[in-house]
Amino acid sequence: MQYYGLNLRSGRENNMHISEGVLSGPVLASGAVLAMVGTAIGLKKIDYDRIVHVAILASAFFVASLIHVNIGPSSVHLILNGIVGLLLGFAAIPAILTALLLQSVFFQYGGLTTLGVNVVVMGAPAVLVHYLFLPLLGKSPGLNFTAGFLTGLFSILFSSLLLGLALWFTDENFFETSLVIITAHIPVMIIEGIITGFCITFLLKVYPEIIPVREK
Amino acid sequence: MKINHIIIFSLIFAMVPANYVFAHKVIIFAWVEDGYIHTESSFGSKRKAKNCTITVVDEKGVVIHKGQTDQEGNYSFKIPGKIDSDLVLKLDAGTGHQAKWRLSKADLIKVPTAKNIKVAMKKKEDLEKGPSVFQIIGGIVIIFLLAFGAKFLKRGKTHK
Repeated sequence: MQYYGLNLRSGRENNMHISEGVLSGPVLASGAVLAMVGTAIGLKKIDYDRIVHVAILASAFFVASLIHVNIGPSSVHLILNGIVGLLLGFAAIPAILTALLLQSVFFQYGGLTTLGVNVVVMGAPAVLVHYLFLPLLGKSPGLNFTAGFLTGLFSILFSSLLLGLALWFTDENFFETSLVIITAHIPVMIIEGIITGFCITFLLKVYPEIIPVREK
Repeated sequence: MKINHIIIFSLIFAMVPANYVFAHKVIIFAWVEDGYIHTESSFGSKRKAKNCTITVVDEKGVVIHKGQTDQEGNYSFKIPGKIDSDLVLKLDAGTGHQAKWRLSKADLIKVPTAKNIKVAMKKKEDLEKGPSVFQIIGGIVIIFLLAFGAKFLKRGKTHK
């Protein structure tokens, strides 16, 4: 058997990390600019007395993408951008940027040129769910779990739509692409919803200070 | 933040994915044998990349050949005639994700040495391995160092 060449490159299966060489220049540039703006706002809004929360959640995000769930013939991985965003708000953007950068360097997930787009795809929904579902927390145990579940579910749904949008701006059919991505991520939406629901319920019991709404 | 709170919070994330399998990379690996280009595509360790599209382009990006991997993630095709260019084999592994392999012009005609084969096989095995514990822990340590570094810098500015 004769083997040639040494330049292996890797991609991913059914995940949110867009590989290098897929997106067009303008999409990459737009993603980088949006990511920089989001990071600047996030750094300004970080409560440095609670920096440990940011580090722990960034670490959870960094590790979560390594964990894959085999579903039938395909495979999906956890993302956890929902809980990161719910608990950090805009501070989730620099946390996600750091985690994605380290994933790119250490594990070759995504890539350095697609870093900006990947930050937008995973960071923007994180901020969005913070403003959508944080007001629901702290009212009743049932509502806490529901808010957590919806956070996990909608963060993946929004990320899937943004991923489809990024590919659509390059050359693919937006509707079909988004449908494929969303369908592939339905199990992740449910799993992340359940995990986020339990985490939020648990945290509100043992360490309610972690929830930003409780600080008021 | 009390240390026991940090431990509890960290444990939540540590216990959640306990029964999941680890991630796998998408890899395309190609070689030439008896006038054919053979490819193996997989998601890292043992899962084969089934029914994935392989597109072969030359240096100018002109599509020369197209095919699909079988149930074992393999695909072979005869080297197209009159090729005077390197070939890039692109594996489409789903939305937004791809892997590539480049075969140089020389690769298409020369017979490799045993040493070349050994080096290439070693690279292939290394890339099929998952992330190491050292890399994972190293990443987490860097995150915490950056966080506390940012806090230190912020405190320095506040005190001035």
